[in-house]
Amino acid sequence: MLTKESIERILTAALSHGGDFSEVYIERTRGTSVSLLNGVVEGTGSNLELGIGIRILEGDRSVYVYSNDLHNEENLIRMARSASASISGVPAGKTVYLKPQLGYFSQKYEIQPSSIKKSEKVYKLRKAGETAKSYSSLITQTSASTADVEKDVWIANSDGLYVTDHRCRTRVMIQAIASSEEDKQSGYFGPGSGEGYEFFERLDTDELARKAAATAVTMISAKPCPSGKMPVVIGNGFGGVIFHEACGHALEATAVGIKSSCFTDMLGKQIASPIVTAYDDAKISKEWGSYEVDDEGTPSSTNLLIQDGILNSYLIDKIGSRRMGQPSTGCARRQNYSFAPTSRMSNTFIAAGESKPEDIIADTEYGIYAVNMGGGSVDTTTGEFNFAVNEAYMIRNGKVCEAVKGATLIGKGGEILMNIDRVGNDLKLSQGVCGSVSGNIPVDVGQPTIRVSEITVGGQA
Amino acid sequence: MDKNIQDFVTELLKKAEEAGFIEAEAVYGADSTMSVSAREGKIVEYENNESSSLSFRGLFNGQMGYASTEDIRPEMIPFLLEQAKDNCSVLEVKEKITVYEGEKEYPEFNGFFEELTSIDYDYLANTALSLEQALLAYDSRIEAVDDCFAVYGSAEIMIRNSKGMHCESRTNGFDVYIGCRAKEGEDVQTYGKGWSFTDLSQFNIQECVNKVGRRVIDKLGAKPVSSAKLPVVLDKVAARALLASFAGSFSAEAIQKGISRLVGKLGEVIADSKITLIDEGMIEGSALCMPFDSEGVSAKRTVLIDKGRFTSELHNRKTALVDGVESTGNATGGTKGPLGIAPTNLYFEKGQYTQDELFEKMGNGIYITAVYGLHAGINAISGDFSLMSEGFLIENGKIGKPVNQITIADNFFDVLMKVEALANDVDYTTPESTHIQSPSLLIPDVSVAGE
Repeated sequence: MLTKESIERILTAALSHGGDFSEVYIERTRGTSVSLLNGVVEGTGSNLELGIGIRILEGDRSVYVYSNDLHNEENLIRMARSASASISGVPAGKTVYLKPQLGYFSQKYEIQPSSIKKSEKVYKLRKAGETAKSYSSLITQTSASTADVEKDVWIANSDGLYVTDHRCRTRVMIQAIASSEEDKQSGYFGPGSGEGYEFFERLDTDELARKAAATAVTMISAKPCPSGKMPVVIGNGFGGVIFHEACGHALEATAVGIKSSCFTDMLGKQIASPIVTAYDDAKISKEWGSYEVDDEGTPSSTNLLIQDGILNSYLIDKIGSRRMGQPSTGCARRQNYSFAPTSRMSNTFIAAGESKPEDIIADTEYGIYAVNMGGGSVDTTTGEFNFAVNEAYMIRNGKVCEAVKGATLIGKGGEILMNIDRVGNDLKLSQGVCGSVSGNIPVDVGQPTIRVSEITVGGQA
Repeated sequence: MDKNIQDFVTELLKKAEEAGFIEAEAVYGADSTMSVSAREGKIVEYENNESSSLSFRGLFNGQMGYASTEDIRPEMIPFLLEQAKDNCSVLEVKEKITVYEGEKEYPEFNGFFEELTSIDYDYLANTALSLEQALLAYDSRIEAVDDCFAVYGSAEIMIRNSKGMHCESRTNGFDVYIGCRAKEGEDVQTYGKGWSFTDLSQFNIQECVNKVGRRVIDKLGAKPVSSAKLPVVLDKVAARALLASFAGSFSAEAIQKGISRLVGKLGEVIADSKITLIDEGMIEGSALCMPFDSEGVSAKRTVLIDKGRFTSELHNRKTALVDGVESTGNATGGTKGPLGIAPTNLYFEKGQYTQDELFEKMGNGIYITAVYGLHAGINAISGDFSLMSEGFLIENGKIGKPVNQITIADNFFDVLMKVEALANDVDYTTPESTHIQSPSLLIPDVSVAGE
């Protein structure tokens, strides 16, 4: 690993010709994975990622360079100098001295994932696969896999900041596929945690396998979903992807900082129904999307985004902070050293309200009950978003009726948030992977059961 | 290829044999990119990167184990060998997997263009600044150019194994992307588009700007239509996005594992007789042109659907062995896990009509120019899709008002059967081409959800 003195020399070189701020991010990541298909171990992987990213800022302009070659300081200094030369400005001519190292431990694992034999992981995954397969004769395929990463990062900058962080995450994915003559439908659960092997050990994988199989079996007999505008009750947990897409991305400084977001200049204004309060909270202990320190070395925060429908805060990183004149909220994240950091979400959710979920359904005369969601996407400028529904039912006269398949929900963020007319008391978080400009990162989405009074449902019927 | 890397691989293969691996293979990949982004007349982002990784696969106890590293120094050899061996100890793959001895001859290939190596920071910066300026000047309703990139990239790959195979290839390219927003009253619309050039004489800033500027202005005032079953012309961009999403159905691996709608359908009619689908590894000047796949099998031309009949699956050497056929040269990946299967240049053969003729044939309906949310709004196995879409009304065969905030929903395999006409508006080797291509398609009766 590069010494503190080497890092100081690189940071100094990075300001030799221009730039008012320089930053180094070094990462070493060990990843392992095991996957089973139909009970057979089909894939295992062991990967080592190692690299350094050097960033220089001049006002709100940036230069980013990265390399895998950490063992050639001369080359890194050359890279830093040439990056500095490409950013016009007054050379700071500053010699960087780092403060004493500050050590974080974002995830305090009990059992180091890489210390566990793969065969032990295989045993439990195989059992889960068998459970799903035996759930019904309609289940024709099962897959079960686990992946874990242990990531060490070193972040230093020309302000003298020098922090290290150790991060560890574990995820388990179980899928069951049900088949009929003409159709195949799947049920899927993929819980994750900011923990080590103890998460996998504790997890009731058989219960997850049964639930995945049950979804697949239900959906294989589902009819095509109707189309048009109607009320939709969205289930708790992964249903929160609606807030993630319809609102979260448009609150990121990436969009707000250049005034391209549909929520630009809306602080203090009502952007959602008064029963909506929402957070981005990176500080929840052991959560999949949590961290103690962000990828710019700023401590993480509990960020109250919306309070009673009023926009309270954006998600702001260092460049965003310079553009917007507001402090960083500690949300700069990146997939790895090959991406410059930018404003991203962590654990983003609508806070619990007062309604009982069963009352929300009983109160709905006609509509869709979307229980399990797939992913989605958004255009943060227009606010137009879409996301897929993986498991859904018709609601008639306040009762949950037959299953319907193939629905996609679309709308404009600004309109949909105002249309939330029920918020349940059953908040739950779910784990996913969010892809954006700085790569794929682990995030939680979440919400209690909510109802949207009117949204466009795209189905085949 | 760098001599240090060659020496590393020689040593790795030697140590692998000493460690008891019956066969071994190393794949080395390296790429470098230089990217410049302009906003408000300034260069706001500049990236200049190089990265490389090396993966090892080795046969031990009848299983092929994998490991990869980005730290490529001799002291990492034990890590690769130990990890690969450990992975072999848990794998249970039934099919026999071997490394390939290589072809006697590989097709002639030139994917590296010397002219492009002169591209430097100044060229990229001037390009990005000019693109932004020209797009802002296109129409006063264009409020901002939020994404404006010019990128030069190059990549090299090498595969070497214990059977003496040694393949190398090198590619480079120059890409631009512009995305902007236009505003009229309270209505805001966005549009973005990218191009990949291997011949700089084809690059014309104003031509790129005109395409983006015209489209974003045309989108102003877009509204949903009422929900109904309607005929649709899928623009080539939307059609190729759908084809890309369901291309996995043609993978022999998916079919052998029972996770494709095409299980047991080989030899049967699965599409209208107007449909011919081809995978072709080497099309000079196409977006993805490779002389060999990830196992070192040379590029081939495979007819997947011949006038409606499903004639071949996409294979790597493992799936080909199971089915008793030849590999179609579609092995992919293998740098961070087992080899998979992916199309190379995959395309529907073009039809005989111009796009305007498709509009005339349709009379009244919707022209879909883009679909969104493909990573979620599809069932990759069953073929069902429901996707947020936008486009224009077609009234009496002519393009009318812009449409947005709608979904189109159908089933990809049903679409193949009911497609009414294919346009001739696709070219496989223009800077707008991607490696998956389709002409515009006329499809009757698609579920459209809107108001």
